[in-house]
Amino acid sequence: MNYRLLKQDINLKPFMTMPPQFNRKTIVMRTDKVYKCEIINIVELTGLEKLFHLKILDPVEREIFSFRPGQFIMLEVPGFGEVPISVSSSSNNREFIELCIRKSGRTTNMLHRAKKGAKVGIRGPFGTSFPMEEMAGNNVLLIAGGLGLAPLRAPLYWVIERRDEYRDVAVLYGTKEPEQMLFTYQYEEWEKVNHVKLLTIVEKADKDWKGRTGLITELFEEINIDPDNTYVIVCGPPVMFKFVCNHLDSLGIPMNRMFVSLERRMHCGMGKCCRCMVGSTFTCVDGPVFDYWSVLNLQEAI
Amino acid sequence: MKYLGIETEKVRIGVFDFTGCEGCELQLANKEGTLVSFLDLLEVVNFREISSERGDNYDVALVEGAISRDNEIERLKQIREKAKVLVAIGSCACFGGVNYLKNRFSMENVVNEVYGEHKVETRRVQSIGEVVKVDLEIPGCPVSKEEVERIVVDLVTGADIKFPKYPVCIECRQKLNTCVFDLGKICLGPITRAGCGAVCPSSKVGCLGCRGPAEDANYDSFRQIALDHGFTAPRIEEKLKFFNALGAALQK
Amino acid sequence: MIYKVITKSEFKKFINGLIKENQTFGPRQVDEDINGKPIYQFREVHSFDEMDLDYTVTYSSVKNFFLPFREILSRYTFQGDDWEQSLEYRVNPRVIVGLRPCDINGLAILDKIFIKGAFPSPYYLARRNNTFLIGMDHEPLEDCFCESLNHHVVRHGFNLFCSDLGDRYYLSIDSSKAFNFLKNVETTEPTKKDNEKFIARKNFIERSFKTRVEVTGLPSFLDIEFKSPIWKKWGDKCLNCGTCAMVCPTCYCYGIEESIDVSLKTSRKERFQYSCNIVDFAEVAGGHNFRPLREDRLKYRFYHHYRGFAENAEEPICVGCNRCGRACLAGINPRDVINDLRLESKDELPAT
Repeated sequence: MNYRLLKQDINLKPFMTMPPQFNRKTIVMRTDKVYKCEIINIVELTGLEKLFHLKILDPVEREIFSFRPGQFIMLEVPGFGEVPISVSSSSNNREFIELCIRKSGRTTNMLHRAKKGAKVGIRGPFGTSFPMEEMAGNNVLLIAGGLGLAPLRAPLYWVIERRDEYRDVAVLYGTKEPEQMLFTYQYEEWEKVNHVKLLTIVEKADKDWKGRTGLITELFEEINIDPDNTYVIVCGPPVMFKFVCNHLDSLGIPMNRMFVSLERRMHCGMGKCCRCMVGSTFTCVDGPVFDYWSVLNLQEAI
Repeated sequence: MKYLGIETEKVRIGVFDFTGCEGCELQLANKEGTLVSFLDLLEVVNFREISSERGDNYDVALVEGAISRDNEIERLKQIREKAKVLVAIGSCACFGGVNYLKNRFSMENVVNEVYGEHKVETRRVQSIGEVVKVDLEIPGCPVSKEEVERIVVDLVTGADIKFPKYPVCIECRQKLNTCVFDLGKICLGPITRAGCGAVCPSSKVGCLGCRGPAEDANYDSFRQIALDHGFTAPRIEEKLKFFNALGAALQK
Repeated sequence: MIYKVITKSEFKKFINGLIKENQTFGPRQVDEDINGKPIYQFREVHSFDEMDLDYTVTYSSVKNFFLPFREILSRYTFQGDDWEQSLEYRVNPRVIVGLRPCDINGLAILDKIFIKGAFPSPYYLARRNNTFLIGMDHEPLEDCFCESLNHHVVRHGFNLFCSDLGDRYYLSIDSSKAFNFLKNVETTEPTKKDNEKFIARKNFIERSFKTRVEVTGLPSFLDIEFKSPIWKKWGDKCLNCGTCAMVCPTCYCYGIEESIDVSLKTSRKERFQYSCNIVDFAEVAGGHNFRPLREDRLKYRFYHHYRGFAENAEEPICVGCNRCGRACLAGINPRDVINDLRLESKDELPAT
């Protein structure tokens, strides 16, 4: 007489000893295993935002980790939580990644107090990316509002590193106040060395501000957009991309050449927890990068 | 936390009681399994129930009980002055609690009824927040030790403190309890903030709302449900006002 | 699939054999409601007689055996200025007896999401692999509507399924484990008459449904009715308490929480079962809430259930057990909400 069920211990399976490979979505792996990273540098950008340079410590894991512009990672601060952050650095840089993080909750507040040398974890990369190869041979227009410049820095690096493959590249960037502008130390380099046309605007000027004042849509008057040969990437608050995309639509840019990156609060990054759902779509798996036509089709996106 | 390069510092606390049963204070000294680690996070400067220390160099004052006498107001204001952070612990401190029931009667009647010939001075009951500025409220009758532990850990590490926003029902269903309404009793679980682990409904006792309202609690629907279950309107209001925790929210 | 027939007394021997060797859960009466109706839950059992196999339906589903309400995903141990992460997927083998078709079909839907979809969950997989499921058919209750969703029959996702033939069970065997265990007791090959009885039993169950919910075309219908005033009507009743999602066999939305031990030496990352009805479900950093209204949140649960997402796109993940309807204090149930929506859209059509 035997009725005993045998234990099927999946801890012993080979995939349970290997580092997870988040680019391979369909294999069983340790989905909650993090790559341990060291914060090798911290750059204070504004009063609210800091740029963290993270280096994956294990060489094998560092080799496995590669991302495309637009993708995000889950950043783990052990004991304090995990947050989705889009990667702001060049996808060519396999040594370390850069994350631009705003202080806005339990996890990020803790992270902002962290010192150089601190150890955190990352999982990823997750989500869709911008079709950079498809854009080659065309003009590229990057439009960012506020913190939206952070996710656009990765595609900008891509273009800059392959500058010959792209035609005119322009960045339109708007914030509420001048002091909220991110990466100001790179503007000159982008313009002079990389031949990127950069137009900035603020809603509310302070006494030192000598640039333009107004809404980001006003910048359209200063550039010529060729609707037949232009790809656009927009990132910013929902109100902004609605106005911007409507305007671009009226210029005749096809909706499938306009890309937006949506922001939601992912908890798992893997299309399970449903916290980032927009309509019936997972922002973490089917997004965060969507073309404008897909966004229009999502209930409750805007 | 050392791994982030952040040093943790012990929290210097003082624990003080006003009108209440001191059950919350007792709760702080409860849970033997973790008590040693818990006290390790603290430097107790003043805590009558567990130590003879009577210092006043505390950073965090945990205040239990409601205010019901004139001399308590003075004492509370002094504590407020010394404390960097004042935490109201327990439903009496946060909302007035059971003591608040007294406010339905004239103070004269109250004194006669309770003390007869040996009259004492008394006043309308107030929550701590009605008298001084409160930085943090930890509700519950009594407070949940697990929650206090979590909050103290957050204070020590400097992390943001979070409370559940959802109602008790979630925790109750997760314990696979039978709904107290199904047992023919009224339960404030659907509108009360969770975090207690649904202790009362787990013992088949209806929730009395000691932790205050859940965020966006649907009072109208709750009243209708209670009426549909055969409870009279006065009975429902009586329940809602029990700790003055939901009553306070209703008036807002 | 292999079919056998077993007498009820042999079946009892079989179950007692399993109980003796393995941790076993089964339906038990836990309470009686104010109207004298028994309330059942799946609880651990130590003998066959502790179970109430003639039970109607359990108040909560078996979902939490596979997606526990709270589960530790990983632990961190702090040491000096460093930490170590540890992950475990250890589950002891267990048996669950008496699952209804809705429970089994619910698991089949969760399998699609947690095993067959993107990023298969090792936690779920470990639990699923180590659980032996014995299903049982039943006559539908007044408000069961699984037949409308074609979930009154089971095809796969169990080890053994028993159809009641009066004094015997007609067994559908869907795993080698079950096949081998059954060698311990006396079973017979089904006769022609048994097969007839089995089919008659199936037909009888199918005919006994009293509640029907029209789900044809519901996915596109829900898209069209996204701004319907019906949502407000039901949203006003909704307590946003999450009860429906907790008792549901397929509601799987969750949240992640981390907490540090009082000793400050370890921390754990936990998954906790959540519900899209809960006020802060769609809240993002900085406090913005993408679904600030009760009706938004209520609608969202229906949207997920009848429209289906990702792996289940365009197909309902509802199995029609009506546990949510029974448990909801506010009387919100799928039948009434869906009928309401359909009626409302009829009103909008010009009279013919």
